[in-house]
Amino acid sequence: MNEEKRSPVTLIIGLILLAYALILRSQNASITPVGLVGLAEYLKTGRTIGTQISVGLWSGIVVTLIGLWNMAVPAMTSKFDKLVRAPMAGIGTIIALAFITRYYMEPIFKIWGKQAEPTLGFDMATIFGLNYILLGILLGIVWVNTIGIPDWMQAGVKTARLAMKMGVITLGAMYSITELKYLGGLSIIMVATFVMGTALFVLWLGKLAQAPRPLIGVLSAGLGVCGVSAAVAAAPVVKARGVDMAYSIGMLLLVGVVGLFVFPPVAKMVGMNELQFGAWAGTGILNSAQVAAAALIFDPDTIETLKVAEIFNITRILFLPFIVIMLAVWFAKGEEEAEKGKVNIGKVLIDKFPLFVLGFLIMFAFSSTGIFTPKGMELHGKNFYSFKVDEKKEVRTRDLKKISAFLETGAVTDPKVKAALEKLVADRQITSADQADLVLKAQDFTKQKDLKTAFKDADKLVQAKPATMEMMREYMMWFFAFGLIGLGMQITWQTLRQAGGKAAMIGVVTGITKAVLSFFVCWLLIKGSI
Amino acid sequence: MAEDKAAASEQKQMEERSLSVFASEKKEDITALIIAFALALLVIITLK
Repeated sequence: MNEEKRSPVTLIIGLILLAYALILRSQNASITPVGLVGLAEYLKTGRTIGTQISVGLWSGIVVTLIGLWNMAVPAMTSKFDKLVRAPMAGIGTIIALAFITRYYMEPIFKIWGKQAEPTLGFDMATIFGLNYILLGILLGIVWVNTIGIPDWMQAGVKTARLAMKMGVITLGAMYSITELKYLGGLSIIMVATFVMGTALFVLWLGKLAQAPRPLIGVLSAGLGVCGVSAAVAAAPVVKARGVDMAYSIGMLLLVGVVGLFVFPPVAKMVGMNELQFGAWAGTGILNSAQVAAAALIFDPDTIETLKVAEIFNITRILFLPFIVIMLAVWFAKGEEEAEKGKVNIGKVLIDKFPLFVLGFLIMFAFSSTGIFTPKGMELHGKNFYSFKVDEKKEVRTRDLKKISAFLETGAVTDPKVKAALEKLVADRQITSADQADLVLKAQDFTKQKDLKTAFKDADKLVQAKPATMEMMREYMMWFFAFGLIGLGMQITWQTLRQAGGKAAMIGVVTGITKAVLSFFVCWLLIKGSI
Repeated sequence: MAEDKAAASEQKQMEERSLSVFASEKKEDITALIIAFALALLVIITLK
């Protein structure tokens, strides 16, 4: 073992992480927000300080200890050395960069987006998806093309794919099959057709264009399901390289942004109603944030369009597990074909089906049983609810009086909504998921803002945030943040120059086809209500 | 020609870098499974 391996770099990185966590902890104890805590207040990341301290402390302790070990015993011969000690300097550096992306870059762009909104007319951070996913991969690209990847970081960067896989497995916990029962029949059929149709279309088009299979796979998930997050989830399934991710994400955002600006004026031109536009946006526009933005551009005064668009969007996102399975089989089949020329699907499934995808499915199954949901809470739509009778969930007397007076006017013509409101007045709080839906629906019967707010507040009061799910989400975001920075570090300008045209072609053709087809389906087939 | 060679070499280097620290795909998958499920178990035990 040569002397340069006795490098203090792991130790230094560990100490930096530790110092960050300890400074944050000491400043957090102060009554007035100072230093890093003051900065966090400005960036509106104050509620993440606890997580930052614990992640910083734990990662700092581990990296520092390994750093000390590396200094004391530089020889690395065992498997443990190769898998844990050697990559630790790179792992620590990527963790530090993930801190910068999640807690500093993303919030800064959020603030800039809001500040520039009056001038630009839109929130650029939302529209261009400037979140930790995109910023992480960009930071990785900038890092590799400026600083480069020194020898001590090489092994750490190679753990990015492991982190992505852990992210995908954890992602399984965010889904539950029970969510499907709340969705409308039409939205399921329409979305299923478009999601599967688009994903298969991209696979066919990609083959026709002779694009690399990992790129086709990532684009298939991204264009079929819900944009960037689906592409991220599919990346390890199809062994995507950093450059595949960079082009896919770029393309998905671009197609989504164009859709966002084109959909509302086209819909206005042909006279689409809220339902038709909501369905069209929720099916044809790629990213969730862009769907919401398009619905609000089309209909800024009521939330009717946004609600419909969100139903379609949630349905679409629920198809991700099925797309992941489909891509895993497709990719394994392709590898087998390349190796042996002929394929036995059953054998492919046993031999090549990625184990971590199985983990994703097991996690999805566990989540569907409610194992992650604390007792008394239930998932309804995209929110968790707790209907246990509790004073804290009671609607304010002032609002209850307003609701009573509103009921007396006879404006609520739907008997179910009326009964739900009467029950709310009697019980002072919402007591079931169906009632929550009906109370929210009551917004359609009034134009008074304070009443609408009262209905929304009544719903918010029974919403719950299970600590288990919040923690799982936190883990998932860290895994993806880590993995994407690592993937970004595999992209040099040279590789970007080499492979771009095909992603653009597939993205543009598929985006236009999907938008046009879903336009006609929504415009011609959707009449009345869903 | 030299440029092509350099590009090919860099491409190879990049592909090498994208490889995992694990000896095989299966080992990487199993490690990911173990860590993810251990964390999930920890979350259930401590927070539910």
